[in-house]
Amino acid sequence: MEQNQTIISLKGITKTFSTRNGTVEALKGIDLDIKRGEIFGIIGLSGAGKSTLVRCINLLERPDGGSVVINDTDLMSLSASGLREKRREIGMIFQQFHLLMQKTALENVCFPMEIAKVPKADAKKRAEELLEMVGLADRMYSYPAQLSGGQKQRVAIARALAMSPQVLLCDEATSALDPNTTKGVLELLKEINRKMGITVIIITHEMKVIREICHRVAIISDGAIAELGKVEEVFRAPKTDAGRALVFHEGDSREGYDGPMERCYRIVFDESNSNEPLLGSMMIECGAPVNILAANTRSIEGKVYGQMLIQLPKDAALREKMIANLRAKDILVEEVDHV
Amino acid sequence: MFDSEMIALVAQAFGESIFMTVASSIMAYVIGLPMGFILVASEEGGIAPMPMVNKILGAVVNFFRSIPFLILLVAIMPFTQAIVGTVIGAKAATVVLVVAAAPFVARMVETSLKEVDRGVIEAAESMGATPFEIMRKVLLPEAMPSLLLGSSIVTTTILAYSAMAGFCGGGGLGAIAINYGYYRGDRVIMWVMVVLIVLIVAVLQSAGIYISKKKDKRL
Repeated sequence: MEQNQTIISLKGITKTFSTRNGTVEALKGIDLDIKRGEIFGIIGLSGAGKSTLVRCINLLERPDGGSVVINDTDLMSLSASGLREKRREIGMIFQQFHLLMQKTALENVCFPMEIAKVPKADAKKRAEELLEMVGLADRMYSYPAQLSGGQKQRVAIARALAMSPQVLLCDEATSALDPNTTKGVLELLKEINRKMGITVIIITHEMKVIREICHRVAIISDGAIAELGKVEEVFRAPKTDAGRALVFHEGDSREGYDGPMERCYRIVFDESNSNEPLLGSMMIECGAPVNILAANTRSIEGKVYGQMLIQLPKDAALREKMIANLRAKDILVEEVDHV
Repeated sequence: MFDSEMIALVAQAFGESIFMTVASSIMAYVIGLPMGFILVASEEGGIAPMPMVNKILGAVVNFFRSIPFLILLVAIMPFTQAIVGTVIGAKAATVVLVVAAAPFVARMVETSLKEVDRGVIEAAESMGATPFEIMRKVLLPEAMPSLLLGSSIVTTTILAYSAMAGFCGGGGLGAIAINYGYYRGDRVIMWVMVVLIVLIVAVLQSAGIYISKKKDKRL
């Protein structure tokens, strides 16, 4: 599989909604290239425009401007029937699953094939295989109401894969699930990406989902892409306020330190040096203490990263010495003016 | 009072009432069901937005829904005459019942279809379903329990209208209640008719609820 081939190319996507309180610019010119075979995360706080963006990829929401090119086809230029045809190459799953409540799991998975006029017997056979793959071989004749949230999402995944799509769009697919179930569903998505080579695009507001399975991530804020890059890079050194808000606002204990602070630094260390008492030895070597404001460790794609927010002494020379000491230990140090 | 002649008369009227109700209900659905679908599909943000169609159809439905049944019955007599060749009896009443009930059915169907989760429709769109496929394969089956419940309301309403049609020579149980109960002052016969009508309503209602529950896979 050619890893660097672009499968989806969004250029200058804009979308404005008119509401009772005036117009809302949901997307302000989004450019995004998604590579074949990758798991791409789009993260943002609610209202950032990420759900609108994912709907623009299969034109459930038609952008006001820009172009959506998938596999060299410009979706905006397609006729209604051409677009319907193309949509079969793009599977989609949703936060609320959106299964047909009056149909069994098996009938739900058969549904896209029924629409595509796949012969009934073939459709049933494929649906059975897919349900087996997602681990629901024994629930084929259950109705959605008889299934748990995780099981419903598995049915939805099987349904999305029925037409062998090249792309799978996941719109907050795990947001309605508990942490354990989320893990299982994410594992399944990872497996689908690895085994079938399907490009997966994940929309989420949870950093942990991105950390768990994404290769690259785009942080979207206020209708624009704030940051874009490999997950570990964006996590290690978020450059924008939006990025920092998402990366730091999760699970670390810094609530008491909100607001502007002086002489505040963020240090990030990885596996190679996380086992050593780096900060301790720095303090001994420099002969002065530092104030630790927050600390945590995370694992991104199997690698452990740790980060700390520290406040250094007032003495500028001493401060320089400490920073140099840490940098010499291969630790990323950056000044932050806002904790 | 209840001699064999009277019993035969009531039996015949009972049959007429059932005939009027069933025939009008079926015809009202033949006309009203597609109208309900068009109303839902054509509205703004619907699966096939057609604002003009939606407005016009909505206005027509509202117009016929606002006319009191007895006035409609008299007003469309020429139309009734043209369709069935008479303005009295169960057949003529059926025509009026259909005209009165079809817009009612359209609104009932519209309400039921709107209960279907927008997300499920979106999911079908994301699979490349056409608007017609969405109507037939998503909206109709997903709304079925609600549609069935609605149909029991529609049939009981039609039955009530048919009794009113009895006032104008419409036949059925309503006609007997009027002719014997009102004009001849025979309260017993009138109350017997009332009980019979209430019984039919009760049967239709519980049948609707039963079938709807049985069909619904959400529980």
